Amino acid sequence: MTVDTTHPRSIPSADWVTIPDLYADPYPIYRRLRGEAPIHWVPAVNRYLVIGYEACHTIELDQERFTADETNSLMKRSMGHSMLRKDDPEHDIERKAYGGVLRPKAIKQEWTRVFEQSFATYLGRLREVGPGADLVKEFAAPFAAENLRVIMGFENATQEDLQRWSQTMIDGTGNYGDDPDVWAAAERSSHEVDVAIDEMLPILRDRPNGSLLSVLGASGMPLEALRANFKMTIGGGLNEPRDAVATTAWALLSHPTQLTSVVADGRWSDAFEESIRWVAPISMYPREATRDTELCGLHIPQGARLGIAVGAANRDPDVFVDAESYDIDRPRKPHLAFGGGNHFCAGAWVARASVVNVALPGLFRELPGLRLDPDRSAVCGGWVFRGVTSLPVLWD
Amino acid sequence: MPKVIFHHDNDETDVVESPDGTSVMKVALQNDVAGIVGECGGQAMCATCHVYVRDGYLDRLPEISEDEEEMLECTAAPRDETRSRLGCQVVLGPDLEEVEVDVPTSQV
Repeated sequence: MTVDTTHPRSIPSADWVTIPDLYADPYPIYRRLRGEAPIHWVPAVNRYLVIGYEACHTIELDQERFTADETNSLMKRSMGHSMLRKDDPEHDIERKAYGGVLRPKAIKQEWTRVFEQSFATYLGRLREVGPGADLVKEFAAPFAAENLRVIMGFENATQEDLQRWSQTMIDGTGNYGDDPDVWAAAERSSHEVDVAIDEMLPILRDRPNGSLLSVLGASGMPLEALRANFKMTIGGGLNEPRDAVATTAWALLSHPTQLTSVVADGRWSDAFEESIRWVAPISMYPREATRDTELCGLHIPQGARLGIAVGAANRDPDVFVDAESYDIDRPRKPHLAFGGGNHFCAGAWVARASVVNVALPGLFRELPGLRLDPDRSAVCGGWVFRGVTSLPVLWD
Repeated sequence: MPKVIFHHDNDETDVVESPDGTSVMKVALQNDVAGIVGECGGQAMCATCHVYVRDGYLDRLPEISEDEEEMLECTAAPRDETRSRLGCQVVLGPDLEEVEVDVPTSQV
């Protein structure tokens, strides 16, 4: 009797894929790739792009074969070595140090009133600018930045500082073109964050509170790790809720029947979860193969740099019916927008509380007749991070 | 070997054996038991491994921690004040050689 041996196929190469095309709209590219295989070598991004739901999910749950601690990580260069680029047990120690700061009890007791205050402030700013204002610039970005500033404990910074830090360090993380100006801006922000942390730490030691810096400062986490985790949190804690607010508002304004149902029945959570499935704010993140291995019948070589394209997985037709459509009534299935396994988004409940409970219902309540500006289209962009970058709106 | 008995809404049952130290969530994921998601990998952070533990096993479970308590307030299917637990916090071992749970109809 012969024993069956598996002969994993080699991964196909997609040399026709370009970064500008991915940035403009990755979804037609993913559709074309999907017909051939769930994993492709994409020379333009120097990675194997993993686009299938099952493949992405398997990788998320298997740090033995697929490490988060990537070689030559741009994120490590831009922000330092945070827990996002570590595996357990090292990751777990730092993750636990975050304690209850980002969990539902603290959100209820401390942060919800911060979200409500920020909402009032930036709704006011939106009204001051008046109909035609860009919802991203005048509301979503400062709302997310101010919430993050308070939660993190930056009493010595402004929401504008947080926006600048976040964007420049994220640009560094995505600096595949090795642009020296991008690195210079990221380094400047990284230094500013270090200075701000150093200034606040002794203050919060004398006067502890519920902020992340106060809790981490007392946790015994080494300063270098604290700084790196803070920079990662500035990156992930700002752009993602900003993009979730803007993309969900855009989705609802473009689908009036669904908007009616959301407003009538308070289905803001459905609107939000479907929005981040449809356009995942973090659409791709890296992993690295620790050994020669097989996944979904394909051979992955040791050291392979993988791009886990959850933005593609979230539109996998094997999992989601009519996956390209925004549909709040679709059968509920777990999406991968918050990641999965040990790196599941630490800010998931903050995002839900600030966006679902405060920002979205507030905007549609306070701005009657909120609608897209027919003369100026919304602008979407990105494939590593993706969202609506400009959303001109009108109201009555 | 310890075992977990999963009862589903359609009257089907999965009986799965697993070594000491494995959580009900991990048992489900490792054996493709339907209805348990376990998004966060066991950090009591996501409330997608919710189970209803059957009478007769409840007094063998550890106390509900503060983290688990706040997640049990965030489950997709309604919480049962006595029977609801997170599967990631129910771990097989000498004190829990067997446990029988009902899998909720929704986790997300």
